[in-house]
Amino acid sequence: MNWQEHLPALILAIPLLGAFATPLFSLGGKTLRNVWMVSISFLTLVLAFFIWKYVGANGVMVYVMGAEKATLALPSGMTYPVRIILEIDGMSAFMALAGSIVSFAGAVYSVQFMDRFTGMNRFTSLYFLLTAGMLGLMITGDLFNFFVFLEIASVASFGLIAFWRDKPEAIEASFKYMLISQLSAMMVLIAIGTLYGRYNVLNMAGVASMLHLGFAEKFVLAFLVVALATKCGTFPMHMWMPDAYAEAPAGVTCLLVAVSQASLYGLMRVCFSLYGATIGSTFIPWVIVIFGTASMFFGVSMAVVQHEVKRLMGYHSISQVGYMLLGLGVGLLALGNPQAMADYGFTAIKGGVYHIFNYTMYKALLFLTAGALYYATGTRDLDKLGGLARKMPYTTFMFAIAAAAISGLPPFNGFVSKLLIYESVFAVHPFFTVAALVTSILTLASFVKVFQTAFLGPEKACFATVKEVPTSMIMGMAILTLAIVLLTLFPTWVLSNLVEPAAKALVDQGGYIGAIMGGGL
Amino acid sequence: MWNKVFTGFGYWDVISWLIFFFIASFFALWLRSIGRRDYKEGTEQDEIYWSGNPVPEDGAEISVPASSSYWGFRKALEPYYKVLVAMHSGHIRDYVGYYVVTAALIAALILVV
Repeated sequence: MNWQEHLPALILAIPLLGAFATPLFSLGGKTLRNVWMVSISFLTLVLAFFIWKYVGANGVMVYVMGAEKATLALPSGMTYPVRIILEIDGMSAFMALAGSIVSFAGAVYSVQFMDRFTGMNRFTSLYFLLTAGMLGLMITGDLFNFFVFLEIASVASFGLIAFWRDKPEAIEASFKYMLISQLSAMMVLIAIGTLYGRYNVLNMAGVASMLHLGFAEKFVLAFLVVALATKCGTFPMHMWMPDAYAEAPAGVTCLLVAVSQASLYGLMRVCFSLYGATIGSTFIPWVIVIFGTASMFFGVSMAVVQHEVKRLMGYHSISQVGYMLLGLGVGLLALGNPQAMADYGFTAIKGGVYHIFNYTMYKALLFLTAGALYYATGTRDLDKLGGLARKMPYTTFMFAIAAAAISGLPPFNGFVSKLLIYESVFAVHPFFTVAALVTSILTLASFVKVFQTAFLGPEKACFATVKEVPTSMIMGMAILTLAIVLLTLFPTWVLSNLVEPAAKALVDQGGYIGAIMGGGL
Repeated sequence: MWNKVFTGFGYWDVISWLIFFFIASFFALWLRSIGRRDYKEGTEQDEIYWSGNPVPEDGAEISVPASSSYWGFRKALEPYYKVLVAMHSGHIRDYVGYYVVTAALIAALILVV
């Protein structure tokens, strides 16, 4: 038996085991629980790495749950797949790797960040449930299974956002997210139910192979686009995001960044793999382009005027999601036109995909540094912070790297993905490049404000006793800093080995369908 | 691994940028090294100049708060910010409203476009 063929199941089983066995390991004390938390998240990262290597070498991975042979998608001469199938192509592997890195960094960071609080057993269980939900969204090939993982991730998020339940703001943020999230989940369920009613199949590749764009399919597309765009924080349905990101513990916010990217991945999977060329008119691609441009600009506009550090970063998340939507939307516009795809469409998709990875790393790091500020000073209000660079040199250094990366300053990784987006979207209309550049300048402006007000300036008497955060928090931040530095120094390698395979998998609808409908052999 | 990244319209070369960065750093450090060496640490020469007034002991008294940053920018765009901030009312009723209106609009337009 080749153990590698079971990697798709293992990457879900390990975090689920982590979640449900945590109460048992917690009986052994705090140290054992912390070792358990870090070990499980590290093991998940290792599995994600193996999956990425395997998919890079062998192509799409198919895993049929409960089948005699795990790779047999169509057993006994069946025409359509009936079991729950996990399907991992280059894009899924790419997303799972990014999500697992962030999950590991967040777990290491949380060990000491959450040390002051009770209820860590519940925290650890919910953290792993969130990780499992996120990874499930990224690797499933089944529509209903996608909904289930969406709900697992959502329910775990509600608990984690409201984890500090003595704070009314945390409960309010969780409630807002719950309401919006459940509205989205209902729309996703209606959409999936409609597709099941029409095609009698829940497998994404199976539906994609039969899909004809009729009245119902158009409604389904509209519902899925709006619901998943909301879950990834697109303007004007983004309102939940700054509240939720600000109130969740920093290690959780770090993971929520990756979870929002799982929804963005779902949106792209629907547009590129489920509908693909049958998406019909350019209406939905234009909707995504407009969503992206509006999210970029309005998100950063709101960020500039914030003085609460995590809210400011929350608004930046909306703005950064805008870049990805813009790049991927332009790619979607070019999907039916091979010449446009060759000229600028594929570059835009590469830019969007690359930005997903970059954003996940630097935004997760930014939230961790904001958490470090809160841990050390007890406040997130930039009006009160100041002069902390001498007291917290490691946090300052890592914040500066993440801030430079998100602002798109060369030579940092954020610049490379933004460059790909700027130059490719220019081909559609120069306005989009101008909007993206203005957004980048405003991003820099607001992070200069954070750097100046929190870290620079004279030492404040109220922070005289402040010192650098504990080792595990520095380690958590260092993991993401290292990822940013590597992405910065080796952009060509990253593009060839991480981004291009993912982008190719995204546009290759035939390959995605064929991996299942060909029988998986 | 160290090759250029081609965008289709231009390219990005991290090595050129790093070389530029090191050359610029060299010149910056060289300029610094030819500065005055008779500076005396711990004397009034390294005290903060605070418009001729005594410098407050607590740094909090001489810091510009984040809320005051970019005041001119916000003032110039006040009408824009009035609308944008009003949209972010914090009321869940409004949030659901934006969601439902957007969903309805896209669902209606997708049928006709």
